[in-house]
Amino acid sequence: MEDEISPESRDLGRALCIITGASKGFGRTLAFQLSCLLKPRSVLMLVARTTEQLNQVKEDIITLYGGQNQLEVRCVQADLEKKDGVEKMVQAAKETSVSDMDHLLLINNAGALDFVIALQKKASLGDVSRFALTFTDPAEVNRYLSLNVSGALSLTAGVLQAFPRRLGLRRSVVNISSLCALKPFPSWVLYCTGKAARDMMFRVLAAEEPDVRVLSYAPGPLDTDMQLQARRSSGDLQLRRSFCSMFSEGQLISCEESGAKLIKLLLDDDFLSGAHLDFYEL
Amino acid sequence: MSAVSGFGKALVIITGASKGFGRALALSIAPRLAAGSALILAARSDDRLQELRADLSRGESGLTVRCVAADLGCQAGVDRVIDEIRDIHPDIHHLLLFNNAASLGDVSRYCHDFTDVDEVNSYLSLNVSSALCLTAGVLRALPQRTGLTRVIVNVSSLCALQPFPSWVLYCSGKAARDMMFRVLAEEEPDLRVLNYAPGPLDTDMQLQARSSSADDALRNSFSDMHAQGQLLTCEQSINKLIKVLLEDKYTSGAHLDFYDL
Repeated sequence: MEDEISPESRDLGRALCIITGASKGFGRTLAFQLSCLLKPRSVLMLVARTTEQLNQVKEDIITLYGGQNQLEVRCVQADLEKKDGVEKMVQAAKETSVSDMDHLLLINNAGALDFVIALQKKASLGDVSRFALTFTDPAEVNRYLSLNVSGALSLTAGVLQAFPRRLGLRRSVVNISSLCALKPFPSWVLYCTGKAARDMMFRVLAAEEPDVRVLSYAPGPLDTDMQLQARRSSGDLQLRRSFCSMFSEGQLISCEESGAKLIKLLLDDDFLSGAHLDFYEL
Repeated sequence: MSAVSGFGKALVIITGASKGFGRALALSIAPRLAAGSALILAARSDDRLQELRADLSRGESGLTVRCVAADLGCQAGVDRVIDEIRDIHPDIHHLLLFNNAASLGDVSRYCHDFTDVDEVNSYLSLNVSSALCLTAGVLRALPQRTGLTRVIVNVSSLCALQPFPSWVLYCSGKAARDMMFRVLAEEEPDLRVLNYAPGPLDTDMQLQARSSSADDALRNSFSDMHAQGQLLTCEQSINKLIKVLLEDKYTSGAHLDFYDL
Protein backbone atom coordinates (compact mmCIF):
# COMPACT_ATOMS: atom_id res chain seq x y z
CA MET A 1 0.00 0.00 0.00
CA GLU A 2 2.37 2.70 1.14
CA ASP A 3 5.91 3.08 -0.09
CA GLU A 4 8.57 2.00 2.33
CA ILE A 5 10.65 4.88 3.51
CA SER A 6 14.11 4.38 2.08
CA PRO A 7 16.41 6.45 4.22
CA GLU A 8 19.34 5.77 1.94
CA SER A 9 17.76 7.35 -1.08
CA ARG A 10 15.81 10.32 0.28
CA ASP A 11 16.12 12.33 3.43
CA LEU A 12 15.06 15.55 5.06
CA GLY A 13 18.47 17.16 5.01
CA ARG A 14 20.79 18.37 7.70
CA ALA A 15 18.09 19.75 9.85
CA LEU A 16 16.88 21.31 12.97
CA CYS A 17 13.67 19.38 13.42
CA ILE A 18 11.37 20.55 16.20
CA ILE A 19 8.37 18.52 17.33
CA THR A 20 5.96 19.83 19.96
CA GLY A 21 3.86 17.39 21.97
CA ALA A 22 6.63 14.86 21.39
CA SER A 23 6.27 12.82 24.57
CA LYS A 24 3.52 10.52 23.37
CA GLY A 25 1.03 9.72 20.66
CA PHE A 26 1.56 11.09 17.20
CA GLY A 27 4.42 13.41 18.20
CA ARG A 28 6.38 10.56 19.67
CA THR A 29 5.92 8.42 16.59
CA LEU A 30 6.99 11.25 14.34
CA ALA A 31 10.11 11.67 16.45
CA PHE A 32 11.08 8.09 15.71
CA GLN A 33 10.19 8.21 12.06
CA LEU A 34 11.90 11.53 11.40
CA SER A 35 15.02 10.62 13.31
CA CYS A 36 16.03 8.14 10.63
CA LEU A 37 15.54 10.69 7.87
CA LEU A 38 17.76 13.43 9.19
CA LYS A 39 21.34 13.67 7.94
CA PRO A 40 24.21 13.26 10.39
CA ARG A 41 24.76 16.17 12.80
CA SER A 42 21.12 17.17 12.60
CA VAL A 43 19.32 18.15 15.78
CA LEU A 44 15.97 16.74 16.79
CA MET A 45 14.33 18.95 19.39
CA LEU A 46 11.50 17.35 21.33
CA VAL A 47 9.16 19.62 23.25
CA ALA A 48 6.52 18.60 25.79
CA ARG A 49 5.42 19.29 29.34
CA THR A 50 6.67 16.12 30.96
CA THR A 51 10.42 15.69 31.30
CA GLU A 52 10.39 12.01 32.16
CA GLN A 53 8.41 11.00 29.10
CA LEU A 54 10.51 13.19 26.86
CA ASN A 55 13.73 11.72 28.16
CA GLN A 56 12.32 8.27 27.60
CA VAL A 57 11.62 9.09 23.96
CA LYS A 58 15.15 10.41 23.60
CA GLU A 59 16.64 7.28 25.18
CA ASP A 60 14.58 5.03 22.96
CA ILE A 61 15.71 6.86 19.83
CA ILE A 62 19.34 6.72 20.86
CA THR A 63 19.04 3.03 21.70
CA LEU A 64 17.56 2.39 18.30
CA TYR A 65 20.43 3.99 16.43
CA GLY A 66 23.24 3.64 18.91
CA GLY A 67 24.49 7.05 17.89
CA GLN A 68 25.22 5.81 14.39
CA ASN A 69 23.26 8.53 12.74
CA GLN A 70 25.02 11.26 14.74
CA LEU A 71 21.69 12.73 15.60
CA GLU A 72 21.59 15.05 18.57
CA VAL A 73 18.34 14.75 20.43
CA ARG A 74 17.46 17.66 22.70
CA CYS A 75 14.57 17.60 25.10
CA VAL A 76 12.91 20.86 26.03
CA GLN A 77 10.38 20.77 28.83
CA ALA A 78 7.91 23.61 28.22
CA ASP A 79 4.24 24.35 28.80
CA LEU A 80 3.20 25.94 25.52
CA GLU A 81 -0.02 27.23 27.01
CA LYS A 82 2.05 29.87 28.76
CA LYS A 83 4.11 32.76 27.55
CA ASP A 84 7.25 31.62 29.38
CA GLY A 85 6.87 28.13 27.94
CA VAL A 86 6.76 29.47 24.40
CA GLU A 87 9.73 31.74 25.09
CA LYS A 88 11.72 28.90 26.62
CA MET A 89 11.14 26.75 23.57
CA VAL A 90 12.04 29.51 21.12
CA GLN A 91 15.15 30.30 23.13
CA ALA A 92 16.21 26.66 23.01
CA ALA A 93 15.75 26.69 19.25
CA LYS A 94 17.83 29.87 18.95
CA GLU A 95 20.64 28.30 20.94
CA THR A 96 20.78 25.28 18.71
CA SER A 97 23.38 25.33 16.07
CA VAL A 98 23.46 22.90 13.23
CA SER A 99 26.47 23.42 11.04
CA ASP A 100 25.60 23.46 7.35
CA MET A 101 21.95 23.39 8.26
CA ASP A 102 19.81 23.17 5.14
CA HIS A 103 16.41 22.46 6.63
CA LEU A 104 14.32 23.90 9.43
CA LEU A 105 11.35 21.61 10.09
CA LEU A 106 8.79 22.61 12.71
CA ILE A 107 5.97 20.26 13.55
CA ASN A 108 3.17 21.93 15.53
CA ASN A 109 1.69 18.83 17.03
CA ALA A 110 1.02 19.79 20.67
CA GLY A 111 -2.68 20.11 21.32
CA ALA A 112 -5.51 18.90 23.47
CA LEU A 113 -9.15 18.06 23.44
CA ASP A 114 -10.88 20.68 25.54
CA PHE A 115 -12.10 18.30 28.18
CA VAL A 116 -8.59 17.11 28.79
CA ILE A 117 -7.85 20.63 29.96
CA ALA A 118 -10.99 20.58 32.06
CA LEU A 119 -9.85 17.34 33.66
CA GLN A 120 -6.55 18.84 34.65
CA LYS A 121 -8.14 21.91 36.08
CA LYS A 122 -10.71 20.17 38.18
CA ALA A 123 -10.29 17.29 40.56
CA SER A 124 -13.29 15.37 39.30
CA LEU A 125 -12.72 12.62 36.82
CA GLY A 126 -15.21 11.48 34.27
CA ASP A 127 -15.77 14.96 32.89
CA VAL A 128 -17.36 14.70 29.54
CA SER A 129 -16.67 17.04 26.68
CA ARG A 130 -18.94 19.95 26.80
CA PHE A 131 -21.55 21.59 24.71
CA ALA A 132 -21.13 25.14 23.50
CA LEU A 133 -23.75 26.49 25.89
CA THR A 134 -21.69 25.45 28.90
CA PHE A 135 -18.86 27.83 28.01
CA THR A 136 -19.93 30.91 29.91
CA ASP A 137 -16.52 31.72 31.36
CA PRO A 138 -14.12 33.47 28.96
CA ALA A 139 -11.12 32.47 31.12
CA GLU A 140 -11.71 28.84 30.36
CA VAL A 141 -12.05 29.38 26.62
CA ASN A 142 -9.01 31.66 26.64
CA ARG A 143 -6.93 29.04 28.34
CA TYR A 144 -7.81 26.49 25.71
CA LEU A 145 -7.08 28.88 22.85
CA SER A 146 -3.80 29.85 24.47
CA LEU A 147 -2.35 26.38 24.05
CA ASN A 148 -3.98 25.37 20.82
CA VAL A 149 -3.97 28.60 18.83
CA SER A 150 -1.92 31.44 20.30
CA GLY A 151 0.89 29.18 21.45
CA ALA A 152 1.22 27.62 17.99
CA LEU A 153 1.34 31.03 16.27
CA SER A 154 3.81 32.56 18.70
CA LEU A 155 6.21 29.67 18.73
CA THR A 156 6.11 29.42 14.95
CA ALA A 157 6.79 33.14 14.74
CA GLY A 158 9.67 32.86 17.21
CA VAL A 159 11.25 29.93 15.40
CA LEU A 160 10.93 31.58 11.98
CA GLN A 161 12.52 34.74 13.34
CA ALA A 162 15.33 32.71 14.88
CA PHE A 163 16.01 31.14 11.49
CA PRO A 164 15.22 33.80 8.94
CA ARG A 165 15.03 33.26 5.25
CA ARG A 166 18.36 32.60 3.59
CA LEU A 167 19.61 30.93 0.50
CA GLY A 168 20.12 27.23 0.94
CA LEU A 169 17.78 26.93 3.92
CA ARG A 170 14.50 25.16 3.41
CA ARG A 171 11.95 26.07 6.04
CA SER A 172 8.94 23.81 6.57
CA VAL A 173 6.12 24.30 9.04
CA VAL A 174 3.60 21.56 9.67
CA ASN A 175 0.31 22.09 11.46
CA ILE A 176 -1.18 18.88 12.79
CA SER A 177 -4.75 19.57 11.82
CA SER A 178 -7.94 17.51 11.82
CA LEU A 179 -11.19 16.91 10.01
CA CYS A 180 -12.49 19.07 12.85
CA ALA A 181 -10.86 22.08 11.20
CA LEU A 182 -13.36 21.72 8.36
CA LYS A 183 -16.40 20.07 9.87
CA PRO A 184 -18.30 20.89 13.08
CA PHE A 185 -18.74 18.10 15.65
CA PRO A 186 -21.30 18.41 18.45
CA SER A 187 -19.76 18.62 21.95
CA TRP A 188 -16.36 19.54 20.46
CA VAL A 189 -16.74 23.29 20.10
CA LEU A 190 -13.30 24.25 21.40
CA TYR A 191 -11.40 21.57 19.52
CA CYS A 192 -13.12 22.40 16.22
CA THR A 193 -12.73 26.13 16.80
CA GLY A 194 -9.06 25.78 17.62
CA LYS A 195 -8.36 23.60 14.60
CA ALA A 196 -10.24 25.94 12.28
CA ALA A 197 -8.27 28.89 13.64
CA ARG A 198 -4.96 27.06 13.18
CA ASP A 199 -5.69 26.04 9.61
CA MET A 200 -6.44 29.67 8.74
CA MET A 201 -3.41 30.93 10.65
CA PHE A 202 -1.14 28.69 8.63
CA ARG A 203 -2.87 29.62 5.37
CA VAL A 204 -2.11 33.26 6.13
CA LEU A 205 1.49 32.31 6.88
CA ALA A 206 1.70 30.51 3.54
CA ALA A 207 0.27 33.56 1.76
CA GLU A 208 2.77 35.87 3.45
CA GLU A 209 5.90 33.73 3.13
CA PRO A 210 6.07 31.95 -0.21
CA ASP A 211 9.46 30.52 0.65
CA VAL A 212 8.14 28.70 3.73
CA ARG A 213 6.59 25.30 3.02
CA VAL A 214 3.40 25.24 5.09
CA LEU A 215 1.28 22.14 5.47
CA SER A 216 -1.84 21.45 7.51
CA TYR A 217 -1.93 17.69 7.84
CA ALA A 218 -5.05 15.95 9.17
CA PRO A 219 -3.75 12.58 10.36
CA GLY A 220 -7.05 10.66 10.54
CA PRO A 221 -8.45 8.98 13.65
CA LEU A 222 -5.31 7.80 15.42
CA ASP A 223 -5.08 5.13 18.07
CA THR A 224 -3.81 7.37 20.88
CA ASP A 225 -4.72 8.65 24.35
CA MET A 226 -6.58 11.52 22.70
CA GLN A 227 -8.75 9.03 20.84
CA LEU A 228 -9.37 7.17 24.07
CA GLN A 229 -10.65 10.40 25.62
CA ALA A 230 -12.84 10.93 22.58
CA ARG A 231 -14.56 7.58 22.81
CA ARG A 232 -14.88 7.62 26.58
CA SER A 233 -15.83 11.18 27.17
CA SER A 234 -17.40 12.94 24.21
CA GLY A 235 -20.55 14.67 25.37
CA ASP A 236 -22.53 13.81 22.24
CA LEU A 237 -23.81 10.26 22.43
CA GLN A 238 -23.82 9.63 18.72
CA LEU A 239 -20.27 10.85 18.41
CA ARG A 240 -19.12 8.70 21.28
CA ARG A 241 -20.77 5.67 19.68
CA SER A 242 -19.10 6.28 16.37
CA PHE A 243 -15.68 6.57 18.03
CA CYS A 244 -16.34 3.35 19.92
CA SER A 245 -17.32 1.49 16.81
CA MET A 246 -14.26 2.77 14.96
CA PHE A 247 -12.19 1.35 17.74
CA SER A 248 -13.96 -1.97 18.00
CA GLU A 249 -14.01 -2.44 14.24
CA GLY A 250 -10.30 -1.83 13.96
CA GLN A 251 -10.74 1.33 11.91
CA LEU A 252 -8.35 3.46 13.89
CA ILE A 253 -5.13 4.32 12.19
CA SER A 254 -1.77 3.63 13.76
CA CYS A 255 0.44 6.64 14.33
CA GLU A 256 3.09 4.91 12.23
CA GLU A 257 0.84 4.54 9.23
CA SER A 258 -0.29 8.16 9.37
CA GLY A 259 3.20 9.40 10.14
CA ALA A 260 4.48 7.61 7.06
CA LYS A 261 2.05 9.54 4.86
CA LEU A 262 3.08 12.83 6.38
CA ILE A 263 6.70 11.97 5.84
CA LYS A 264 6.11 11.09 2.22
CA LEU A 265 4.52 14.50 1.76
CA LEU A 266 7.60 16.12 3.27
CA LEU A 267 9.99 14.05 1.18
CA ASP A 268 8.09 14.66 -2.05
CA ASP A 269 7.79 18.31 -1.10
CA ASP A 270 5.33 19.09 -3.87
CA PHE A 271 2.29 19.98 -1.77
CA LEU A 272 0.72 23.37 -2.28
CA SER A 273 1.92 25.57 0.58
CA GLY A 274 -0.96 26.30 2.96
CA ALA A 275 -2.97 23.28 1.84
CA HIS A 276 -5.01 21.11 4.15
CA LEU A 277 -4.33 17.46 3.35
CA ASP A 278 -6.07 14.55 4.99
CA PHE A 279 -4.72 11.03 5.56
CA TYR A 280 -7.66 9.61 3.68
CA GLU A 281 -6.97 11.68 0.59
CA LEU A 282 -3.43 10.43 0.17
CA MET B 1 -46.47 46.60 9.60
CA SER B 2 -47.05 43.11 8.18
CA ALA B 3 -45.78 40.10 10.05
CA VAL B 4 -43.00 39.60 7.54
CA SER B 5 -41.62 43.11 7.63
CA GLY B 6 -40.91 43.03 11.36
CA PHE B 7 -39.71 40.81 14.14
CA GLY B 8 -42.71 41.32 16.38
CA LYS B 9 -42.12 41.63 20.07
CA ALA B 10 -38.43 40.99 20.33
CA LEU B 11 -35.35 41.17 22.48
CA VAL B 12 -32.43 42.30 20.37
CA ILE B 13 -28.87 42.36 21.64
CA ILE B 14 -26.13 44.02 19.64
CA THR B 15 -22.48 44.02 20.65
CA GLY B 16 -20.08 46.61 19.30
CA ALA B 17 -23.12 48.86 19.03
CA SER B 18 -21.37 52.20 19.51
CA LYS B 19 -20.31 52.69 15.91
CA GLY B 20 -20.06 51.23 12.43
CA PHE B 21 -22.14 48.22 11.55
CA GLY B 22 -23.43 47.68 15.08
CA ARG B 23 -24.71 51.20 15.42
CA ALA B 24 -26.34 51.15 11.98
CA LEU B 25 -27.90 47.82 12.83
CA ALA B 26 -29.49 49.25 15.96
CA LEU B 27 -30.96 52.15 13.99
CA SER B 28 -32.19 49.91 11.15
CA ILE B 29 -33.73 47.23 13.28
CA ALA B 30 -35.51 49.42 15.81
CA PRO B 31 -38.37 50.32 13.43
CA ARG B 32 -38.89 46.62 12.80
CA LEU B 33 -39.62 45.83 16.40
CA ALA B 34 -43.14 45.83 17.80
CA ALA B 35 -44.08 47.78 20.92
CA GLY B 36 -42.91 46.05 24.05
CA SER B 37 -39.59 45.10 22.46
CA ALA B 38 -36.21 45.70 24.03
CA LEU B 39 -32.88 46.59 22.51
CA ILE B 40 -29.72 45.95 24.50
CA LEU B 41 -26.67 47.73 23.19
CA ALA B 42 -23.23 46.69 24.37
CA ALA B 43 -19.91 48.36 23.66
CA ARG B 44 -16.98 49.72 25.59
CA SER B 45 -17.79 53.38 25.06
CA ASP B 46 -20.58 54.59 27.29
CA ASP B 47 -20.66 58.07 25.71
CA ARG B 48 -21.30 56.75 22.26
CA LEU B 49 -23.91 54.32 23.51
CA GLN B 50 -25.80 57.17 25.16
CA GLU B 51 -25.69 59.15 21.92
CA LEU B 52 -27.11 56.17 20.11
CA ARG B 53 -29.83 55.82 22.70
CA ALA B 54 -30.73 59.47 22.16
CA ASP B 55 -30.91 58.91 18.39
CA LEU B 56 -33.09 55.86 18.90
CA SER B 57 -35.48 57.66 21.20
CA ARG B 58 -36.40 59.95 18.35
CA GLY B 59 -37.92 56.96 16.62
CA GLU B 60 -39.99 54.25 18.16
CA SER B 61 -41.83 54.59 21.40
CA GLY B 62 -42.68 51.36 23.13
CA LEU B 63 -39.06 50.26 22.64
CA THR B 64 -36.95 49.81 25.73
CA VAL B 65 -33.30 50.62 25.11
CA ARG B 66 -30.61 49.54 27.55
CA CYS B 67 -26.97 50.43 27.22
CA VAL B 68 -24.22 48.31 28.69
CA ALA B 69 -20.72 49.71 28.64
CA ALA B 70 -18.61 46.62 29.17
CA ASP B 71 -15.49 44.81 28.14
CA LEU B 72 -16.78 41.57 26.74
CA GLY B 73 -13.36 39.96 26.98
CA CYS B 74 -13.94 39.14 30.62
CA GLN B 75 -16.58 37.30 32.63
CA ALA B 76 -17.75 40.44 34.46
CA GLY B 77 -18.47 42.21 31.18
CA VAL B 78 -20.40 39.26 29.77
CA ASP B 79 -22.35 38.97 33.03
CA ARG B 80 -23.39 42.62 32.88
CA VAL B 81 -25.04 42.08 29.51
CA ILE B 82 -26.76 38.94 30.80
CA ASP B 83 -28.01 40.84 33.84
CA GLU B 84 -29.83 43.31 31.58
CA ILE B 85 -31.73 40.47 30.02
CA ARG B 86 -33.13 39.21 33.26
CA ASP B 87 -35.53 42.09 33.76
CA ILE B 88 -36.87 42.01 30.24
CA HIS B 89 -40.53 41.26 29.81
CA PRO B 90 -40.73 37.53 29.21
CA ASP B 91 -43.48 37.75 26.61
CA ILE B 92 -41.23 38.09 23.56
CA HIS B 93 -41.54 36.05 20.38
CA HIS B 94 -38.08 36.66 19.06
CA LEU B 95 -34.61 36.76 20.48
CA LEU B 96 -31.91 38.13 18.20
CA LEU B 97 -28.30 38.25 19.31
CA PHE B 98 -25.92 40.02 16.95
CA ASN B 99 -22.33 39.11 17.77
CA ASN B 100 -20.80 42.11 16.06
CA ALA B 101 -18.10 43.44 18.41
CA ALA B 102 -14.70 42.84 16.87
CA SER B 103 -11.33 44.36 16.24
CA LEU B 104 -9.07 44.16 13.23
CA GLY B 105 -5.94 43.45 15.24
CA ASP B 106 -2.58 44.84 14.27
CA VAL B 107 -2.56 44.47 10.49
CA SER B 108 0.75 46.26 10.17
CA ARG B 109 2.55 43.07 11.15
CA TYR B 110 3.03 39.64 9.73
CA CYS B 111 2.68 36.14 11.22
CA HIS B 112 6.35 35.96 12.12
CA ASP B 113 5.99 39.12 14.22
CA PHE B 114 3.44 37.64 16.62
CA THR B 115 5.92 36.16 19.06
CA ASP B 116 4.04 37.36 22.14
CA VAL B 117 1.43 34.81 23.11
CA ASP B 118 -0.24 37.31 25.46
CA GLU B 119 -0.95 39.64 22.58
CA VAL B 120 -2.55 36.88 20.54
CA ASN B 121 -4.53 35.72 23.57
CA SER B 122 -5.83 39.19 24.17
CA TYR B 123 -7.04 39.39 20.59
CA LEU B 124 -8.74 36.00 20.72
CA SER B 125 -10.33 36.85 24.03
CA LEU B 126 -12.31 39.73 22.55
CA ASN B 127 -12.90 38.30 19.11
CA VAL B 128 -13.52 34.63 19.82
CA SER B 129 -14.04 33.78 23.48
CA SER B 130 -16.36 36.66 24.31
CA ALA B 131 -18.69 35.79 21.43
CA LEU B 132 -18.99 32.18 22.61
CA CYS B 133 -19.44 33.08 26.26
CA LEU B 134 -21.95 35.83 25.63
CA THR B 135 -23.95 33.58 23.31
CA ALA B 136 -23.91 30.77 25.87
CA GLY B 137 -24.96 33.13 28.65
CA VAL B 138 -27.78 34.69 26.65
CA LEU B 139 -29.18 31.35 25.54
CA ARG B 140 -29.10 30.01 29.07
CA ALA B 141 -30.87 33.12 30.33
CA LEU B 142 -33.53 32.71 27.64
CA PRO B 143 -34.01 29.01 27.12
CA GLN B 144 -36.00 27.40 24.39
CA ARG B 145 -39.77 27.55 24.71
CA THR B 146 -42.74 27.34 22.37
CA GLY B 147 -43.48 30.59 20.66
CA LEU B 148 -39.92 31.89 20.99
CA THR B 149 -37.60 31.96 18.00
CA ARG B 150 -33.99 32.40 18.98
CA VAL B 151 -31.62 33.79 16.36
CA ILE B 152 -27.86 34.05 16.71
CA VAL B 153 -25.99 36.10 14.14
CA ASN B 154 -22.22 36.08 13.85
CA VAL B 155 -20.90 39.06 11.93
CA SER B 156 -18.41 37.16 9.84
CA SER B 157 -16.22 38.09 6.89
CA LEU B 158 -14.69 36.80 3.69
CA CYS B 159 -11.66 36.55 5.95
CA ALA B 160 -13.26 33.56 7.65
CA LEU B 161 -12.83 31.66 4.38
CA GLN B 162 -9.84 33.23 2.70
CA PRO B 163 -6.41 34.14 4.05
CA PHE B 164 -5.17 37.73 3.68
CA PRO B 165 -1.48 38.59 4.13
CA SER B 166 -0.81 40.71 7.25
CA TRP B 167 -4.24 39.84 8.63
CA VAL B 168 -3.47 36.69 10.62
CA LEU B 169 -5.35 37.68 13.76
CA TYR B 170 -8.48 38.84 11.98
CA CYS B 171 -8.61 35.87 9.59
CA SER B 172 -7.94 33.33 12.35
CA GLY B 173 -10.51 34.93 14.62
CA LYS B 174 -13.16 34.97 11.91
CA ALA B 175 -12.41 31.37 10.90
CA ALA B 176 -12.64 30.36 14.56
CA ARG B 177 -15.97 32.14 14.99
CA ASP B 178 -17.55 30.62 11.92
CA MET B 179 -16.64 27.13 13.15
CA MET B 180 -17.82 27.93 16.66
CA PHE B 181 -21.25 28.93 15.41
CA ARG B 182 -21.40 25.94 13.08
CA VAL B 183 -20.86 23.66 16.07
CA LEU B 184 -23.55 25.57 17.96
CA ALA B 185 -25.94 25.05 15.04
CA GLU B 186 -25.19 21.30 15.12
CA GLU B 187 -25.77 21.05 18.84
CA GLU B 188 -28.93 23.15 19.04
CA PRO B 189 -31.28 22.42 16.15
CA ASP B 190 -33.97 24.76 17.45
CA LEU B 191 -31.66 27.76 17.12
CA ARG B 192 -31.35 29.82 13.98
CA VAL B 193 -27.65 30.45 13.55
CA LEU B 194 -26.23 32.62 10.78
CA ASN B 195 -22.66 33.51 9.87
CA TYR B 196 -23.18 36.73 7.89
CA ALA B 197 -20.30 38.28 5.95
CA PRO B 198 -21.41 41.89 5.40
CA GLY B 199 -19.06 42.84 2.56
CA PRO B 200 -16.53 45.72 2.59
CA LEU B 201 -18.24 48.39 4.69
CA ASP B 202 -17.40 52.05 4.86
CA THR B 203 -16.47 52.17 8.53
CA ASP B 204 -13.55 52.97 10.85
CA MET B 205 -12.42 49.36 10.53
CA GLN B 206 -12.17 49.78 6.78
CA LEU B 207 -10.22 52.99 7.28
CA GLN B 208 -7.79 51.09 9.45
CA ALA B 209 -7.55 48.39 6.79
CA ARG B 210 -6.63 50.79 4.02
CA SER B 211 -4.22 52.85 6.08
CA SER B 212 -2.44 50.23 8.15
CA SER B 213 -2.26 46.93 6.29
CA ALA B 214 1.36 45.94 5.85
CA ASP B 215 0.73 44.07 2.63
CA ASP B 216 1.02 46.60 -0.19
CA ALA B 217 -1.30 44.82 -2.62
CA LEU B 218 -3.98 44.48 0.00
CA ARG B 219 -3.68 48.07 1.15
CA ASN B 220 -3.89 49.28 -2.43
CA SER B 221 -6.94 47.22 -3.17
CA PHE B 222 -8.70 48.69 -0.14
CA SER B 223 -7.72 52.19 -1.19
CA ASP B 224 -8.99 51.54 -4.70
CA MET B 225 -12.30 50.24 -3.40
CA HIS B 226 -12.68 53.39 -1.38
CA ALA B 227 -11.61 55.72 -4.17
CA GLN B 228 -13.91 54.05 -6.67
CA GLY B 229 -16.93 54.16 -4.40
CA GLN B 230 -17.15 50.40 -4.13
CA LEU B 231 -17.50 50.30 -0.40
CA LEU B 232 -20.91 49.44 0.91
CA THR B 233 -22.85 51.55 3.33
CA CYS B 234 -23.76 49.71 6.47
CA GLU B 235 -27.41 50.26 5.61
CA GLN B 236 -27.03 48.47 2.27
CA SER B 237 -25.59 45.45 3.96
CA ILE B 238 -28.02 45.50 6.86
CA ASN B 239 -30.99 45.60 4.52
CA LYS B 240 -29.87 42.31 3.02
CA LEU B 241 -29.22 40.82 6.41
CA ILE B 242 -32.64 41.79 7.70
CA LYS B 243 -34.29 40.41 4.58
CA VAL B 244 -32.52 37.07 5.08
CA LEU B 245 -33.53 36.98 8.73
CA LEU B 246 -37.16 37.81 8.02
CA GLU B 247 -37.43 35.26 5.21
CA ASP B 248 -35.90 32.80 7.63
CA LYS B 249 -35.03 30.21 4.97
CA TYR B 250 -31.28 29.97 5.52
CA THR B 251 -29.73 26.74 6.75
CA SER B 252 -28.73 27.14 10.37
CA GLY B 253 -24.95 27.40 10.61
CA ALA B 254 -24.56 28.63 7.03
CA HIS B 255 -22.07 31.28 5.97
CA LEU B 256 -23.80 33.85 3.77
CA ASP B 257 -22.02 36.73 2.12
CA PHE B 258 -23.57 40.05 1.09
CA TYR B 259 -22.48 39.33 -2.46
CA ASP B 260 -24.21 35.93 -2.50
CA LEU B 261 -27.57 37.49 -1.82
